[in-house]
Amino acid sequence: MNLCIRVHFWSYYREMTGTALAEVEVPEGASVADVVSAVHERWPALVPLRASTLMAVGVDYAEGSQTVRAGDEVSLFPPVQGG
Amino acid sequence: MHRELILTEQPIDERAWVASRPGGVTHGAVVTFSGVVRGSEHGQPIAGLEYTSFEAMARHQFGLLLDRMAMQWPVESVRLVHRLGPVPAGGVSLWVEVLAPHRAEAFAACQMLIDEMKRVVPIWKRVMPATVGG
Repeated sequence: MNLCIRVHFWSYYREMTGTALAEVEVPEGASVADVVSAVHERWPALVPLRASTLMAVGVDYAEGSQTVRAGDEVSLFPPVQGG
Repeated sequence: MHRELILTEQPIDERAWVASRPGGVTHGAVVTFSGVVRGSEHGQPIAGLEYTSFEAMARHQFGLLLDRMAMQWPVESVRLVHRLGPVPAGGVSLWVEVLAPHRAEAFAACQMLIDEMKRVVPIWKRVMPATVGG
């Protein structure tokens, strides 16, 4: 069974994808990295930024290996620059 | 530890914040920091910076940093105000105040908070170009 995961884009990733929110399908048991791969298939412009992309599930930072569950909201964004 | 965190699109009134400093006789050190938008970026003049945020996560991450601060130092109060939206060159984008019994911990805590904010709190800035002839 597939999971439908909502993905939020922040900062200039919104301009690069043309959207603030997308949904991707991944198999049950998939990881955050699998979600990112699904995003990269749809928006290859983000692939070169892979090394610097920050990932979160909800309001906590996430590692690529973290398993996603139904209802999780993943966020992808560039390095932060507050101050 | 008293804590206040404000993310605002309104200008930061530093005098008003200083005037509303929490009272008490146990803190011997008050460290304040103001971050000001420079008028140039990479040598080019700019009109200012526009800040955006993933606000729910920013508040959560600030909270984690303040928890860490409270564990590490005997800080009595921390108040942090960060601007969102457009901030003109010369405007204050960040104001931080730390109250602690002694200066060493007040300086250290303030430094940690700002350094870590720049590493983990999801706030971004975009250059607002200077207008031609302006």
